[in-house]
Amino acid sequence: MNIYSNLFYKYRKSAKAIRMFLVVAGPGIIVMVADNDAGGITTYTATGAKYGFHLLWFLILLGPVAYYVQEMTVRLGAVTKRGHAEAIFHAFGSFWGWFSLLDLILTDWLTMITEFIGMTAALSIFHVPAYITVLICWTLMGTMIMVGRYWTWEKVALIFCIGNLIYIPCAFMVHPSIKDIVYNSVIPHFPPGGFTNDLFFLLMANIGTTIAPWMIFFQQSSVVDKGLREKDIPFGKTDTIIGAFLTVIVAMFLIIVTGKLLLGVPVESAAQAASMLMPTNKYIGTIIGLFDAGFLGAICISLASSWAFGEVFGWAHSLNNKIKEAPWFYAYYFFAIVLAGVVVLIPRAPLVLITLFVQVIATTLLPAALVFLILLLNDEKTMGKYRNSLYENIMNIAIVVVIIILSTLYGISTIFPNLFA
Amino acid sequence: MNIFTGLYQSLTSQVREINARYSKPSIQMTPLVKICLLFLRFYLFLLIGLLIYKFITVVSQ
Repeated sequence: MNIYSNLFYKYRKSAKAIRMFLVVAGPGIIVMVADNDAGGITTYTATGAKYGFHLLWFLILLGPVAYYVQEMTVRLGAVTKRGHAEAIFHAFGSFWGWFSLLDLILTDWLTMITEFIGMTAALSIFHVPAYITVLICWTLMGTMIMVGRYWTWEKVALIFCIGNLIYIPCAFMVHPSIKDIVYNSVIPHFPPGGFTNDLFFLLMANIGTTIAPWMIFFQQSSVVDKGLREKDIPFGKTDTIIGAFLTVIVAMFLIIVTGKLLLGVPVESAAQAASMLMPTNKYIGTIIGLFDAGFLGAICISLASSWAFGEVFGWAHSLNNKIKEAPWFYAYYFFAIVLAGVVVLIPRAPLVLITLFVQVIATTLLPAALVFLILLLNDEKTMGKYRNSLYENIMNIAIVVVIIILSTLYGISTIFPNLFA
Repeated sequence: MNIFTGLYQSLTSQVREINARYSKPSIQMTPLVKICLLFLRFYLFLLIGLLIYKFITVVSQ
């Protein structure tokens, strides 16, 4: 074969691979970008306001952490053709299965409330009443799952993911110092003031927002619903890498915005930051209004619960099923989003308490979900040749141990705030 | 009322069916798996204990 034929052959092969990737891509990008939900945006906003650019290097480290955890769900879903909830029931029995399922339902419901809090706070900047925002969200979320199949839902979700990337041009609009950004991204160091309790809590909050239990359940179920097979695993891994890259980039650019404009200003929520920024730069203020982030999180979290319930109870539970074919799947979905939205509308509802409680409840589920993931990925009967390699085990176990320790400390510090004071 | 009773009975029968289907773990119970599950039970016992303790202290204040 001469050189031109060779080049043409390689071009055709690459083009085919890219087309295949575009078909398979979706779950990884969606779950990672949706990770920058209302809670995540709030955490990054507070991180930038408190420490400027000094924690950019830490955000970069979280990218591979998120990738290694989520990549396991791709393999597990593609090989077993089961969602994470069903996989736990099947492998570990009904006690751990019910614990995981019920904990997931509770965590997801509470997290969805925080997403609705974020969305209502975002649109309240434009004087939109909370009940109108909730109605808009219910309508959009309901329409998304009822129209079309999984592919339609996925493409619409990817459009919302593009909306989440709006923080990137924001960072350019504030004209930060490139030299400072590069230094703080590349050189690990503590901010001025050293390693304090406040810094420790914020680092743990950043870890907690990067790896959330619903992400594990969502991506695995999404891989199953999409119909990915073993041969699609390399593309699924690439999809997850790109998602991890995007989630870190968005987080970093958001920190750059608030680090530049709100440094030293006490910020408790993204909505508060948006209100502060509106007088100086209404575009940036609007963007940090975080409606897109909350909406993306809500559509993914609600599906994660619905899929989990359907898997365990044996209902038809695919977005490719119409309502008549999977009534309980859709009924649960609507029940979950309505219940979450209604809580936000209750006058004097303890929304701050709920936001704190989510962090504690997630602490009960995350270690179990991660440990089960590692054990399943090491089970030869389940995974066959796709089980974890030695390198993957070293990386994954190290990551899981650190996450368990830090998320536990974070949960305990939320229950007993004065313990680490 | 009959609808709710029917729903409840349907739900409990489904739960019993699920419990029967998954009564036996399928994963190979190696020493590592047993240690991990023991750790998880201890971990959850501790965390839930802390939550209950906090709840009691808050309520009694």
